[in-house]
Amino acid sequence: MADATPEVSKRRGIPRIWLVPIIALLLGIWMVYWTWHNQGPEITITLANAEGIEAGKTKIKTRSVAVGLVESVRLGEDLESVIVTARLDPVAANLLREDTQFWVVRVRVGLGGVSGLGTLLSGGYIELDPGEGAPGRRHFEGLKDVPVTPGGTPGLKFTLLSEEAGALSVGNPILYNGFQVGRVESTDFDVESQHIHHRAFIDAPYDALVTSTTRFWNASGISFNATADGIELRTGSLQTMLIGGVAFGLPDDVKAGQPVEDGINFELHPDRKSINDQPYEHYVEYVVAFSQSVRGLRPGAPVEYRGLPSGRVERLMLEELAAESGEEGEGRPIPILVRLEPGRLPFGDTSEGAARLKRSIEKGIQNGFRATLETGNLLTGSLFISLDIYPDEEAAEQGTFAGRPTIPTIASGIDSIAKKVTQLLDKLNELRLEEVTDSADVTLQELTVAITELRALVSSHGVQSLPNSIESSLDELDRTLNSVRALADALEHQPNSLIFSREPTPDPEPRATHP
Amino acid sequence: MTAFPARSAAVEGLACCHVCYKLAPEAIHSCPRCGSALHLRAPDSLQRTLALLITASILYIPANLLPIMTTEQLGRSIDSTILGGVILLIDMGSYPVAAVIFIASVLIPIGKLFMMFWLCWGVHQNHMTSQRQRTSLYRITEFIGRWSMVDVFVVTVLVVLIQLGGVIRIDSGPAAIAFGALVIVTMLAAESFDPRLIWDARGDRDG
Repeated sequence: MADATPEVSKRRGIPRIWLVPIIALLLGIWMVYWTWHNQGPEITITLANAEGIEAGKTKIKTRSVAVGLVESVRLGEDLESVIVTARLDPVAANLLREDTQFWVVRVRVGLGGVSGLGTLLSGGYIELDPGEGAPGRRHFEGLKDVPVTPGGTPGLKFTLLSEEAGALSVGNPILYNGFQVGRVESTDFDVESQHIHHRAFIDAPYDALVTSTTRFWNASGISFNATADGIELRTGSLQTMLIGGVAFGLPDDVKAGQPVEDGINFELHPDRKSINDQPYEHYVEYVVAFSQSVRGLRPGAPVEYRGLPSGRVERLMLEELAAESGEEGEGRPIPILVRLEPGRLPFGDTSEGAARLKRSIEKGIQNGFRATLETGNLLTGSLFISLDIYPDEEAAEQGTFAGRPTIPTIASGIDSIAKKVTQLLDKLNELRLEEVTDSADVTLQELTVAITELRALVSSHGVQSLPNSIESSLDELDRTLNSVRALADALEHQPNSLIFSREPTPDPEPRATHP
Repeated sequence: MTAFPARSAAVEGLACCHVCYKLAPEAIHSCPRCGSALHLRAPDSLQRTLALLITASILYIPANLLPIMTTEQLGRSIDSTILGGVILLIDMGSYPVAAVIFIASVLIPIGKLFMMFWLCWGVHQNHMTSQRQRTSLYRITEFIGRWSMVDVFVVTVLVVLIQLGGVIRIDSGPAAIAFGALVIVTMLAAESFDPRLIWDARGDRDG
């Protein structure tokens, strides 16, 4: 019995009860592995502040679906930012791409509307806007401002570049013929390029309206413009007047271009008018130099050939002038850079047209092709440059200034009149008027003396009796004339009376009585 | 195990039936009254107890790490672990409730586990000292084991009572399952421990 007992226990081996802790252990290991395997990516988001964000509570949402949870919130190493660590669901791993964006959703009340009301009760959350770039990014910078358009909305995303902020702010409408088709999403200032970047969005299907030739302009507020063409006042709708807005369209006489892709940059023109300034691709640059005042000549002023708009003034080349002339620059004509666009003239907006325009101008200069500075608007004094052919001008050679060809200039218009008036005044100035008046004075005095003497002469007796003697003389003359008349009559009737006596000869009598 | 105390039933070859407690010779292998198997001592008692104790120790990890309760209040959901709940209660000033939860959910399971391990170790080493203390320890273990479920009860009652839709609701977490399993497994371990083993170490000395 004592021998058999150990055999029995050996046969039984390890009791089956040990399966229980092994199963528990395996289950534990499997759960740990499963959790580890199924946990999504951990990401860090750098934010300016952690207002409304709580570790373990704040969710990360995309399209209002929770895809992750904030695990910790701590200060950044520079102590000026907040680093939020969050764990995303495994399914959301694919949403993390190079240009994925995060921002904190809070209640937002602005002129453009109210958003994020849902966060009043549930607290803020972090919105994830899925991007398009390469996947795999894990560290993100949170956006300061909330993009107005939810991610994934069909439409066109693009950037408007402008040199001044104007009245544009987030949420401003983008209008097409006065109808809102999109909005401004964010506004940033790029220090490097000194440009304001407005990220904007146009909803489908209106995004098809934007093509490569589309121009955008600021439709904010009231635009008041006094140019060579006159005074212009434009206002947008009441909404754009109050909060600003962007409008877009095609420049005059320009057809729609190629469709554009997301991320394209457009220049934001200051107003509707300025989009027409550069609708042409090709241009030729010339320098015109004027010795007269260029006050009133502004960049953008028109350049006209016989009244046809053919280009515009680019800028005054003062730096080049200083560089070229050095210290002897005093009194030199002021060079002005102008752009002539062959597309405006019948040369065609091609590089070939530009070459033809160049040749034509070169030939024209031989025949008196000259530039003049003309006054466009007497009220505002704005100037424009007029090109014309003056056949009387002597042939001139085309020169160059700062590497650009020049067009000879002549003074004309108001300026030439002013010059003539000046010359006249100068001549008047040169006259010795004082001497003239002095001598005139002397002459007048002498004249007075002469007149006095004349008066004395007239009142003398001789002169007084002159009429009587004239009268008697006249009587005498009368009588004389009468006798002369009698003589004439006699001569008429009897011309020989001059020779023969006037004694009438007796008429011959018949001799009948006489033997 | 070979040596039994003198004047014990085991020395006479008599075994007590596990089911109906009839004393019968172990040689006949089955109880003449109810037919169940007869053993002088519960077979593999130490092994079973140890295995269940280890299982309970494994279960103790998720029971404390995972949330036992999820409170959803006005759209915010708060997960709380057992210890986190105790700390929360202390912060709220409910010291008696915190003490009850702490004793029932932390002290008792851990204490029971350690006591059982100590008993098993003592039996294994054939310690002959303080056998009375061990016996009373075993009794305490059996007594307090049933109160370990207090935490599970608290969660169960809260989950059932507090369901106010969107305003506030409480759901049980995965730790509740682990904790419940832990309590059951420790009770089974205490059950499978044969307290007679404590006294077998006395050998032939009379108790």
